[in-house]
Amino acid sequence: MTTYLGNFLLSLSLFFAISQFFVSKKNKFKFITITVNGLLISSLLSFGLLMYSHIISDFSILNVFQNSHTTKPLFYKISGVWGNHEGSMLLWILVLTIFNYFIFKLYNKNNSIFIAKTLEIQAFITTGFILFTILTSNPFQRMFPEQANGLGFNPILQDPALAIHPPLLYIGYVGFSAAFSISVATLTLNNNEKVPWYNYMKPFVLAAWTFLTIGIALGAVWAYYELGWGGWWFWDPVENASFMPWLLGTALLHSLIIVEKRKSLQAWVLLLAILAFLLSVIGTFLVRSGILTSVHTFALDPSRGIYILAFTALLGGYSLVLFGKKSKKYFNTNYFALFSREGSILINNILMVIICATVFLGTIYPLLIEAFTNNKISVGEPYFNSTAVPIMLPAILVMGVGPILAWNREEKSKIFKKILPSVLLTGIMSGLIFSIYQSYNFIGIAGIILAFWIISNNIIILFKQKKNYSSGMLVAHLGIGLLILGITGSSIWQEEKITRLQINTSAQINKYNIIFKEINEAKGPNYVALKGNFTVYDEKKNIITKLEPENRYYPITNSFTTEASIHTNLARDLYIVLGDGNLSEGWVVKIYYNPLVIWIWIGALIIFIGGIISISNNLKKIKILS
Amino acid sequence: MKKKLLILPSIFFFIILSIFFYLLIIERNPSELPSNLLNKNVPIFETESLFKNEKFISSQEFKNEIILVNFFATWCKPCRDEHVYIKRFSNKKGIKVIGINYKDNSKKTIKWLKNLGNPYSDVLIDKNGRVAIDWGVYGIPETFIVNSKGIIKYRHVGPITNEIYKKINLIINENE
Repeated sequence: MTTYLGNFLLSLSLFFAISQFFVSKKNKFKFITITVNGLLISSLLSFGLLMYSHIISDFSILNVFQNSHTTKPLFYKISGVWGNHEGSMLLWILVLTIFNYFIFKLYNKNNSIFIAKTLEIQAFITTGFILFTILTSNPFQRMFPEQANGLGFNPILQDPALAIHPPLLYIGYVGFSAAFSISVATLTLNNNEKVPWYNYMKPFVLAAWTFLTIGIALGAVWAYYELGWGGWWFWDPVENASFMPWLLGTALLHSLIIVEKRKSLQAWVLLLAILAFLLSVIGTFLVRSGILTSVHTFALDPSRGIYILAFTALLGGYSLVLFGKKSKKYFNTNYFALFSREGSILINNILMVIICATVFLGTIYPLLIEAFTNNKISVGEPYFNSTAVPIMLPAILVMGVGPILAWNREEKSKIFKKILPSVLLTGIMSGLIFSIYQSYNFIGIAGIILAFWIISNNIIILFKQKKNYSSGMLVAHLGIGLLILGITGSSIWQEEKITRLQINTSAQINKYNIIFKEINEAKGPNYVALKGNFTVYDEKKNIITKLEPENRYYPITNSFTTEASIHTNLARDLYIVLGDGNLSEGWVVKIYYNPLVIWIWIGALIIFIGGIISISNNLKKIKILS
Repeated sequence: MKKKLLILPSIFFFIILSIFFYLLIIERNPSELPSNLLNKNVPIFETESLFKNEKFISSQEFKNEIILVNFFATWCKPCRDEHVYIKRFSNKKGIKVIGINYKDNSKKTIKWLKNLGNPYSDVLIDKNGRVAIDWGVYGIPETFIVNSKGIIKYRHVGPITNEIYKKINLIINENE
C-alpha cells in the first residue's frame, strides 16, 4: 500500500513540476499558483510518507529494510530517512520545491515576466531531479517477502551533528539553484523589465551560503567527534565538493554587493551564480557515482552517475553557452579605484576563485592522471596545505582591511588613523596568545595575527555602532576571525601521542598526566562497548577530568566504531581514542592535545547568526521593492 | 576578442565532463589499491610457524611453485567469510596456500582452524604485524599471488568474493 501511495505522490510531483515548466513559459499566474503549491504539497507528502515508514519501521519498503531497525533510537530513525541515497534525493527534491515556493512568493505585476522565467528554469531543474529519483533511486520500492526486522543503519552515521548535517547542506546546495535560475532568467530576458535581479538573487545566495557554512561545520564536528582521527578536516573529495561551492558562494555574495552599489561586475556575478550551482551538482555527482572513493561513498551505481552527468551537461551546456552569447550586454565600464571598499572586495573575489580552482584541480587531478596515463595517484593534505592555504592568507588580510575602507575611493592619508585602534588591539591579543603557547612558524604566526586582526576590526566597528555598516556582515566577519583563530591554533599547536598503555600506567601530553584506570564492558540501546576509564591530572596533580573513550560493536550491522572522549575548554581539547588491545599487553591509546578547537565551532555558529541577520535584512529590502 | 573569451567557461566545462564520462564508462574499481610490490620479488622475512617447529625463511620457500599468501586473523569477520574460497584454492592442484596469522592469539587460531578446516599448508605467525609491514598490507584480509620465480603477480585487499575468486583463478592459470 505504502509503495503505491509513495510512487503515486512521486509521479504527482513529477506532473506538477512538468506543468509548472509549461505554465511558467506562458506566464499564467493562476496555473502557476496551482502547480507551485501542488508541487510543494506532493513533495512534502511523499517525504512525510517515507519518514512515517521509517518511524513505524515498515519493512515492506526496501529502503526502510535496508537502512533501519526496530531497536534504533527514534531520532536516528528520522535522520535515517536522509542517511541513505534514495531518501536523501527525496529531501533534495523537497528543499528544491521549498525554494521554488519562495521564488513564487516574490511574484508581482512589475516582475511577473522575470519571476515566471525563473520558475520555468527552476521547474526544469526540479523535473530533472524527480526523474532521476524515480528512474534510478526510487525510495518506495517494495520489499518482498516482508521481513521481521531491518538491516540496521551504519552506526558511524549515528551522531547528532551528522543527523542534521545533510538537510543544512542541501539548503546550501539547492539555494544556489535559485541563484542559477535567476541568472539564466536574467540572461535570457535581456532584462527588458528592468528588474533589479541582483536584489532578488541576494537573499537566496545569502541563505545558501549561510546554511552551507553551518552544514560544512557540522560535517567537521562529526568527523572530529566520531571518526576518532583527532582532526576535523581531511581534504577528502567530498569535503572539497562542499567547500568549492562555498568559496564561489563567498565570491558571489560579495560581488553582489558591488553590483548593488555600483552596477559593476554584473556579467561576473551572473557567471559565478551559474558556476556555484554547477559545482554543487558536480559535487553530488562525485559522491553518488562512486567515481571517487571517500568516507561519504553511498551505494555505487554507474547508471546514476551517467544520469547526473547527462543532466549536468544539459544544465551547464545551456547556461554557459547562453552566458557566452548574451552576457556582453552586462559588461560595463563603471571602473572603480582599487583602494576602496569595492576594490578590496574585487581582490578577495579573485583570490576566492583562485583557491576554488586550486582545490578543484587537486580534487580531480587523480582522475585526470588515471584517465590519461592509467596510473593511480592520490592528492592529499600536503598539496592543499601548501597551495590553497597560502592563498588564503592575503585573502584574510584584505578581508580585515576591506570593511574599513570607504566606498568609491579612500583617502590614503586617513587610512592609518582608521586602522590604528585595531592594529593596537591585534598586537596586544597576539602578544598574549604567543606568550601562552610559545610556538612559532610562519603560517602559524600569520594565521593568528590575521585572526586577531579580523576580530579586532569587527569588534571596534560593532562597538562604535556606525550606521552605514551591515550588522549581519560584522557579526559574520567576527565569526570568520574566530574560526581562523581556531583553525590555526589547532593546526600548529596540536600534539599527538600514540602509545600502548596497561591498566594503572600513565602517559604524558603537554602538561597533562593521563592515567589508565580500568576498562569495562558497557551496553547501549543497539550496541555493546568496551569503555576505557582515564583520569587526567595537571602538573600540580589536581584532577582535571575523567575521560571514557569507547569501542562500540553494533551486532546488527556487524560493525565497530570508536567513540573519542573529549574534554573541552576555551583553551584546548583533550582527545582520547581507545584502540585495539587486551589485558595482558595493554591497549593502544591515541591522545591528542588540540588547542582552541572550540573556537572553530563558536566561529561557525557566529557566522551562521550573522548570515541569518543579513537574510532578514535583505528580505525587508525586497519587501520595500515590491 | 572579448566575445571569444566568453565561450571559454563552456569549453572547460565540457572537457571536464568528458573526462568524468570516460571514467564512468571504462571498467575501473576506485577502491582497488595499486601495490608497489607488484612484479617485484617477495619481501625477505623470517618468522615462526604455527604447526611446524622450524623457522620459516622466505628466501628458501618462495620458489618452484605458485604460492597464494593470505593474511588473516580469527578476530576478523571478513576472514571467516572468505574462508570457503581459501579452502577451494587449497584443493586446487599446482598451488600452495600459505596463511599469515596477523596479530592473533595462537591458541585461538588453532581452535579456529580446527572448527572451520585448515586450508593452509603452512601457517606463519605475525604476532606484532612486522611481516604485514614488509608486505605493505593495507588491511586484513589481504591476498597475494606469488609465481614460481618468487615474484608477486597479484594483490587483493579485502575478502575474496566469487568474482575475485574467478579472477585469481585466471591469474594462477596464466602463471602456470
